[in-house]
Amino acid sequence: MKHAALPEIGISQILGLVELLAGKGGREDIYKLAGELSMELGETLAVIKAAETLGLVHTPGGDVVVEDFGNKVVDASITDRKDLIRGKLAELPLFKTIHDYLAREEGTEVTREEMLEKLAELIPNEDAEASFSSIVSWGRYSELFGYNDDSQTFYLGESRAG
Amino acid sequence: MTPDAHTLLEFKNVTRRFLLPQGEVTVIEDISFKALEGEFITIVGPSGAGKSTLLRMMNGLLAPSSGEVRYNGVTQKGINFETAMVFQNFGLLPWLTVSQNIELGLGARSKDAAYRKSQVNRYITKVGLEGYEEAYPRELSGGMKQRVGLARALAVEPSLLLMDEPFSSLDVLTSINLRNELLDIWSDRDNVVNTMIMVTHNIEEAIELSDRILILSNRPGKIAGELKVDLPRPRRKRDPLFSEYVDRVFSLLA
Repeated sequence: MKHAALPEIGISQILGLVELLAGKGGREDIYKLAGELSMELGETLAVIKAAETLGLVHTPGGDVVVEDFGNKVVDASITDRKDLIRGKLAELPLFKTIHDYLAREEGTEVTREEMLEKLAELIPNEDAEASFSSIVSWGRYSELFGYNDDSQTFYLGESRAG
Repeated sequence: MTPDAHTLLEFKNVTRRFLLPQGEVTVIEDISFKALEGEFITIVGPSGAGKSTLLRMMNGLLAPSSGEVRYNGVTQKGINFETAMVFQNFGLLPWLTVSQNIELGLGARSKDAAYRKSQVNRYITKVGLEGYEEAYPRELSGGMKQRVGLARALAVEPSLLLMDEPFSSLDVLTSINLRNELLDIWSDRDNVVNTMIMVTHNIEEAIELSDRILILSNRPGKIAGELKVDLPRPRRKRDPLFSEYVDRVFSLLA
């Protein structure tokens, strides 16, 4: 299975982008969008790529277009949005592999160090530290797994640390 | 909001002066307005117009030098526990987790630990923070931090929510997202709070969000004008009527 790094972009920015585009009728020129937001083009592209990874938008030519799934997320309530995005995240190969890894280790603690090693193995060309923080934040957002920064360990489902 | 809506908060000829080394300075001068139940009011004005001073008189942290602040028809004395505040820089304690930060405001109001826990969980869900319960502020993006600030304010179930430039330290896309979510929360009839007063220096933000805009003039802060925003939501910046409102606010500020 090919593992792509998770987007290192927060969910709020991604949702903001899709909401903005939906308000503009669902389509915008990427270069124009970056100018309008006073954001660097590279930064704008990173958010767009993250939204694309989650199936919220696609990018034909130089445009960014909201997918049906993106419109569904925009129209959903705060809690329903989370459920919709959780479903998409669960399908991403890196996310699935990590979830399976945690499930196999269930009962033993997976530490920060062990996760960094696992990431280095799964996505060797990426910065493991940077991917680590997005694994933690996307894991939390989707509630598929959690991380306790006091004990520096991962867990599935409800926290055992309490 | 109905025309005969109940007046929740009223400022009557409120003036606030501060004693500074260079002498006495009037920050707020003769401000009168009413906030009706169910209204979303924004206050715009240049920096130094006394916007934060106004908010602190609304929650009772500061008393007026002259004039009167009334809440539900009663003259306000001391802190008003029916209000809660959301801050620009989130106001989170770094050594506490998300859940503990949200529980903070409840501690002063209820000794019932089970009630506090259920309120924390309820508002964590409302703002979309499930999964982040035991994260620390340092692990969160700005957008998530402000969700914590919002949940903490909502958890005490205030009848009036006060916000001091809540989106101005967030990046542009995150602030779009949080503005939309705030409107969802405001219009959610399940929530206790349906009256909001927000200070902002962003005119477009004021037009996008509020029913009514109070425009402050600078030094001392006085009400230079008031504008009712009569546009259906969601409001779009490309709408020509939206631009007309921007122009009107600018002309009142000038």
